[in-house]
Amino acid sequence: MNRVVFSSWGGNIVDNRRKTAGYTPVENLEFPLEHNGHRVRAFMSWWGLVVVDEKINVADMTHAYLKEVQKLSCGECSVGYLGIRVMLDTLTRILGGKGTENDIALLRWLGNGIKANTKCDFCALALTPVLDSLKYYEGKYTKIKAAQKSLAKPAYLTRITAPCMEACPAHQDAPGYIELINNRRYEEALALIRQTNCLPGTMGRACFAFCEENCTRQDIDKPVSIRALKRVPADYEVTAALEPEAKVKKAGGDKVAVIGAGPAGLAASYNLALKGYRVTIYDEQPSVGGMAWVGIPAFRLPRNVLGREVDIIKKLGIDVRLNTRVGKDITLEQLLKQGFKAVFIATGAHAGRELGIEVEGGGVVDGVEFLRDVNMGQKVAVKKRVIIVGGGNVAVDCARTCLRLGFKEVIILYRRSRAEMPAREEEIEAAEAEGAKIHYLAAPVKALTEGGKVTGVECIRMKLGEPDDSGRRSPIPIEGSEFTVGTDMIIPAIGEKPDLSLIEGKSIDTTKWGTIVVDAPTGQTSLPAVFAGGDCVSGPATLVEAIAAGNKAARGIDRYLKSGRATPPEEQVVEDWLHDVALNHQRDGNIVAKKERQSPEQLPIVKRKLGFDEVEQCLTLEMAAKEAERCLRCYRVMLLAVDGKK
Amino acid sequence: MIKLTIDGKKVAAEEGGTILDAANQAGIRIPTLCSHESLRPAGACRVCTVEIATNGAKSLTTACDYPVEAGLKVSTTSEKVMEARRLAVELLLAQRPHSSKLQELARKLGVKQPRFVLAEQECILCQLCVRTCQEIVDVEAITFVAQGKDRGVAEPTVVHSLDKCIGCDACAYVCPTESITVTDIGDTRTINTPSGKLEFKLKQCQVCGKYWAPEKQLDYIIEKWHLEPELFATCPDCRD
Repeated sequence: MNRVVFSSWGGNIVDNRRKTAGYTPVENLEFPLEHNGHRVRAFMSWWGLVVVDEKINVADMTHAYLKEVQKLSCGECSVGYLGIRVMLDTLTRILGGKGTENDIALLRWLGNGIKANTKCDFCALALTPVLDSLKYYEGKYTKIKAAQKSLAKPAYLTRITAPCMEACPAHQDAPGYIELINNRRYEEALALIRQTNCLPGTMGRACFAFCEENCTRQDIDKPVSIRALKRVPADYEVTAALEPEAKVKKAGGDKVAVIGAGPAGLAASYNLALKGYRVTIYDEQPSVGGMAWVGIPAFRLPRNVLGREVDIIKKLGIDVRLNTRVGKDITLEQLLKQGFKAVFIATGAHAGRELGIEVEGGGVVDGVEFLRDVNMGQKVAVKKRVIIVGGGNVAVDCARTCLRLGFKEVIILYRRSRAEMPAREEEIEAAEAEGAKIHYLAAPVKALTEGGKVTGVECIRMKLGEPDDSGRRSPIPIEGSEFTVGTDMIIPAIGEKPDLSLIEGKSIDTTKWGTIVVDAPTGQTSLPAVFAGGDCVSGPATLVEAIAAGNKAARGIDRYLKSGRATPPEEQVVEDWLHDVALNHQRDGNIVAKKERQSPEQLPIVKRKLGFDEVEQCLTLEMAAKEAERCLRCYRVMLLAVDGKK
Repeated sequence: MIKLTIDGKKVAAEEGGTILDAANQAGIRIPTLCSHESLRPAGACRVCTVEIATNGAKSLTTACDYPVEAGLKVSTTSEKVMEARRLAVELLLAQRPHSSKLQELARKLGVKQPRFVLAEQECILCQLCVRTCQEIVDVEAITFVAQGKDRGVAEPTVVHSLDKCIGCDACAYVCPTESITVTDIGDTRTINTPSGKLEFKLKQCQVCGKYWAPEKQLDYIIEKWHLEPELFATCPDCRD
């Protein structure tokens, strides 16, 4: 049984070392002591020190931890950078048996001094467990003898993350690129972004920005504008007419087919091509980009921005076959027979869910279909009044699109309240500012028609009941509250589902929700050479989740093709192990001054209705530097001591 | 105006200003190193550390970049403050023991021989040169390279870009530790920087024959202010 010998986790000191009887368990640990064949012997992070195996050499572990911290100590302030350096030098000397009497006092003085007075929080918070170890394990430092050094050395596993990074499905290194933007090193910032996100300009505009929801800065004033900052180096590359450098590692690897040219397919293709694989992408649409192209309107994501980023990816030597539907024009078996060693299915979720109300005659167009028609340049009939049913981004995008097309009255019908609306708050506000009306707690019951044409919708009022599976309070109809709203058109936008006809009859497992089952860390399906990711696995989700799935699958496919097994890499094992550790909290932070969040300029409302010009502008370089300065650099270093390889 | 207290003295300060501005106005001297009245604060050297108390919380911070707030209580001389300043200066002096500016600061704060040794670096990363080049010269030839995740940077440093640098020597002028130096010999100006040597051809005065300014700098000024190149054919001494 794993018993914790000592813990300062979260500042709660539990010390079982000198107890003659009884054992105080540690209640608040947020990670299991065993995972995937590894056993924790000790753990160190900004949140405290946990020792399970009392034979562990805490001084040696602290040294290993501080070495990782030192690599992240940026140099923006003297106390953090030089102080950590001196501490590390001192610790190295102690471990080498050359410590002096004053060293422990010096380490404590430095540690406390640095903690109290650094420019950002990184070094200050990172020192917490170092001070804990000096306080509670002083003996391990002062009695460095040959006997201790000969103890079997554990293996150290490291994980470096941050609240924003962990919230991002693709774990993008936001503090890293923000720091580079602050120092006006835009090309390096962009190269760093591209390591985990092959569509920086696209995502700098259209990302849901889960990172901002988890930004520590919220505790002081408002989150850092991480999404808007990401756009800055991407736009800089365009205005400075720079070409990104992409080095393909030894081309001529195995052939991999990618089905679907959306964000998931592009991310997988980009990463596989960089690793030297020969990638062919198939897509039924006449253009690359998937939902980012057909589903996101140009006023949020100009076509040339996405087009340019797609071209950059294609230039890695990727063969793109458009207007080709796998399952109809060519089958999965044919692909595998043609010499593709692995296939990545990323076909998205493009089929609109049906409203489930009776409609006779015309005047009803599915939201995704409507956006696709407009975004692909097809003419759509402009009506006087439209009712859009749904509360997600598709509904809001439909509303904003209709207003630009010249619809006089645009009404969104949503069955829950504003708080439950899944669309991004900024988008909802923009839609309202542009003239859309939102009726909350109302659902359609049936369409009213006259002479084969829609004339209105009969609706019913709803109230909120208990939370459902999604965690949102479920809507309950209020009997007898029916009312009617006149309209010329209905756009249901209540969610999409994948079309999985291409794998019908194959031995690929699917869920009852009509999505593909995969091994989460690698994207592998029940058919070993076939991987899947994006909306066809998750159901309708966000661009960044699709990119993350593409990145993961590329790693999985690479390992599968190299070793025959798609095992997750060690870093992913550690990542999964520590994923539940809450990263936001901190012990003994210093006072941070409030700084105003910089927000990009928006196109004036009057100009928006004239067409599909981009609404949000880019932050200026000056604003970007100011905004970047707001980042607190909340990197968290976590070090696990586990059994070394025997 | 914002009302705050510094060392027990009631002070009125302009909104948007810093504790350092307010203290200077009130005649309270706070030692500084990386601060310059014409530049944005960096908070890099931590020498201007003060102790603040606001809404029941207390902590150290730097006077140069902390904005004044109503009701803020600032102490510039508490034992905690002096200890923090001594730590910053002791660290800086350990890295650059030969800087007269640092030696003087150390003497004033009572820091004697540093208790630890660091490999000597002339540059103490105060970023005065970076900010001067960005904000005063408006060229952005110098950028700061920090350490970071997977960055593989051995040590943070400042880097001059030869493409952008106009050879004006403002960086050498503001450098407090002689990490950037300039020498003009014959028709060549050499700027020694932490990232290497930069050389610039100097312009010769048509009248006295003296080499008086880097050609690249003059070209920059001519272009930026739309001036006639003839203006710079002669050195300032030989102009009417």
